[in-house]
Amino acid sequence: MTIATEASQAAAAPARPQRRGPARDFRATRWGWAYSAPAVLVFLAFVIVPTGYTFYVSLWKWNALNPALSKFKGLGNYQRLWDATQPTFLSSLWHSLYFTGAMVIGGTAISLALALLLQRGGALLNGTRVAVFLPHATPVIATSMIWTWIFNYKFGLADWALHSLHLPTSQWLQSSSSAMPAVVIYSLWHEVGFTTVVFLGGLAMLSDELSEAARVDGCSAWQEFWHVTWQQLKPVTVFVVAITAITSLQAFTQFYQLANGGPAYATTTLSYLVYEEAFVFSDTGYGAALAVVLFAVTVFFTLVRRRTASGDSHALV
Amino acid sequence: MSGPRASRGMAGASRAGRYARRVLAVLIGAAFVFPFYWTVVISLGRPGEFSSFPPVLLPHWDWSNWSRAWHSAPWLRLFGNTVLIASCTVVLCLVTSLLAGFAFGVLRFPGRKFLSLVVLSVLMMPGTVLIIPDYVLANDLHLLNTYWIQIIPWGASVFGIFLVRQFFLTMPAEILDAAALDGASRLRFLRSIGIPMVRPALVIIAINVFLGSWNSFLWPVIMTNTNMESGDTVQPIEVGLSTFASAEGTDFPGLAAAVTFTTLPVMIFFLLLQRQFIRGALSAAGGVRG
Repeated sequence: MTIATEASQAAAAPARPQRRGPARDFRATRWGWAYSAPAVLVFLAFVIVPTGYTFYVSLWKWNALNPALSKFKGLGNYQRLWDATQPTFLSSLWHSLYFTGAMVIGGTAISLALALLLQRGGALLNGTRVAVFLPHATPVIATSMIWTWIFNYKFGLADWALHSLHLPTSQWLQSSSSAMPAVVIYSLWHEVGFTTVVFLGGLAMLSDELSEAARVDGCSAWQEFWHVTWQQLKPVTVFVVAITAITSLQAFTQFYQLANGGPAYATTTLSYLVYEEAFVFSDTGYGAALAVVLFAVTVFFTLVRRRTASGDSHALV
Repeated sequence: MSGPRASRGMAGASRAGRYARRVLAVLIGAAFVFPFYWTVVISLGRPGEFSSFPPVLLPHWDWSNWSRAWHSAPWLRLFGNTVLIASCTVVLCLVTSLLAGFAFGVLRFPGRKFLSLVVLSVLMMPGTVLIIPDYVLANDLHLLNTYWIQIIPWGASVFGIFLVRQFFLTMPAEILDAAALDGASRLRFLRSIGIPMVRPALVIIAINVFLGSWNSFLWPVIMTNTNMESGDTVQPIEVGLSTFASAEGTDFPGLAAAVTFTTLPVMIFFLLLQRQFIRGALSAAGGVRG
């Protein structure tokens, strides 16, 4: 596992004290910012300034065809968040949190189980590793279409499997109570490959001595997992939870292609509602207000993650 | 790394246990791949047979679905658009990541901390939030329905910058000493020593950015118009596929054929480079073990 050692060296390196010598002069330059300028400019122009602009747009009854005709509304768009007209903000916020919660719990549990199953295997287990990762590498649009057939209530594999097991069949995407679970099942299939590999990376870095000690002390397999493996995997688990939460909050394409936010708005999440209000109903100002709320939720998740992992300044998320 | 123990957490695993583990792994792998197999089956089926149980599980080798789907949309043009957009985005990302990763990992300059915080803050401002202001901006700049708006905004990657930075942080200081004594300029150092040193990072970035660009959907669907007839569309293939699906929604075999021939190139790309993909995912985890 050379990657693992590489990565841990990379993480450990900053602790090394700066040496004196010619390298110091080589490092110090007033023009250093210029090297970062191309990247920073792209981020400023298309990410940072636009985020501020979203706040601005959210204060207007925005006229998409001619912005000069927009009317200032103050916080009017934010007051509308509490309106009862379908699809409501509160229900879409609930759908986002439901989807995110299901993906975090389901995705973490499944990928940890898969990683434990697939660790240190031969060619066969490596083949399974590739098979599990494959959906993650294929486009969400194309694979969502495949899953609309799997969930089809006339000829789909999902109902056929339930039927063969003598279980009650489901309407899946056609019913407002089963549509969200169907989207979760699809998304788990698409996403767990990535997090499984992340867990495999974590497992490869575990200390063998602790496991040996546990076994010498007569721990059962379960005790060894719980007290030794799981404890050491905690940083990786925090990372998997954080990245799954953030990508799930942003998820859009599968909701668009599998269910179009329906039926009866049952799969209209906050991300989907931003798109729908701004680009289907052409209410750009209200869409921007929703985007600001989504931004606030994302910042909240990110800050919680930062607080729970103190002294861990090299993590990206 | 294969120690005396066959598997952690399975103390005293018998031979039967090892077999059970393999069988389970094969079944799970097959379950993950089965949807792709079934898509090929549907694409080679007869249009009438998709209305009742049991589902068709073996192909009927009816290739007419493929030619019908192939002639219904300018697939080659859409495919070319995707390759062009993804390749340009990769080149741009490699340049910006290399330069910024070098700046944050090697150089010392006033404002370094502040600028790296600016870059990190980008992670909190995701695409769904940006789509409205960026659409307004693109409209003002007359960039809607161009290749530019699909390339430039994605031309820098936080993941890429921090991956290059990590590689530079592991570099022994002696190399810098030598370069400084030789009197090499920073740009020359970057070109002749830096690039070879961070090449594995560049490969990971290239693959991830290429795939991210190929798989993106919300951005191009907002930033471009559907204009399939005229033949000069700038839309990528995934948007074309989605438009095709809403037009031909009930032609399951034709749609399955389109899904198959548009997804096959990505799959081959993945299977050829799967070791690097998995390396990339592992390096994402590497950052958490501080």
